[in-house]
Amino acid sequence: MKIEIKNYKGSKVVAPDGEIDMYSSPELRNALMTLINKKTKTLYIDFKDVTYMDSSGIATFVEGLKTMKAYGGRLKLIGLSEGIMEIFRFSKLDNIFEIFGNIEDALNN
Amino acid sequence: MKNSTVIKIPSHAKYLCVVRSVTEKMGELYGMTAPEIEDVKLAVDEACANAIKHACKGNEELIISVKYNLKRKGFEVVIDDSGQKARPDAIKGRDLDDVRPGGLGVHLIKRVFDVFAFDEKKKNGNRLRLVRHRRINPPEADKSS
Repeated sequence: MKIEIKNYKGSKVVAPDGEIDMYSSPELRNALMTLINKKTKTLYIDFKDVTYMDSSGIATFVEGLKTMKAYGGRLKLIGLSEGIMEIFRFSKLDNIFEIFGNIEDALNN
Repeated sequence: MKNSTVIKIPSHAKYLCVVRSVTEKMGELYGMTAPEIEDVKLAVDEACANAIKHACKGNEELIISVKYNLKRKGFEVVIDDSGQKARPDAIKGRDLDDVRPGGLGVHLIKRVFDVFAFDEKKKNGNRLRLVRHRRINPPEADKSS
């Protein structure tokens, strides 16, 4: 899995590319926590190129969200595939996370 | 119809992609739909991840075997490890209303497989048997009515 971190209209966007599983999720966690430890106000996660995610990936984002909420930060998820969205629904996390279809909607929210 | 395939992987998370690839192909051979295959792939991944993390404690010297049995009545996956014995009564998964990292794996497995059973007769390590009963597709709606 590759992780791209980019700036888009002044906001930090983390874009994983590939499969998020127990092997690759620690690398994703490190990338997220590096930004979160800097108290990044709003972080966007672009799922456009994520082809698979298991519960370790979900755990990574739950941890990130909880840490960000503690300092008033926001974690926004963008472009989830229907399969990944279904896992969020099943896990009752679709009401916990801010989920958007595209980055413009996320930025405007 | 009964066909079996076995793969053996070292107990290390980097091999989960191998398990997923084989699971996907076995699902295709069994005639599952694409969404079913994705669900089964996730569930088997979660089960193997649990074996690596909790039973084998990441000891790469230990081997995990994954056996696929394609039976007329159902798709069976048997996961064997030689790690620490699990306590089936303690394997529940977290309450889904208790939002915290972790604890989802068992739910994701049980969501897909109709049978989730540890073989208590296995003395050393664990043998987890998962069975997804064959789904019968609903008949097409009567077009004359």
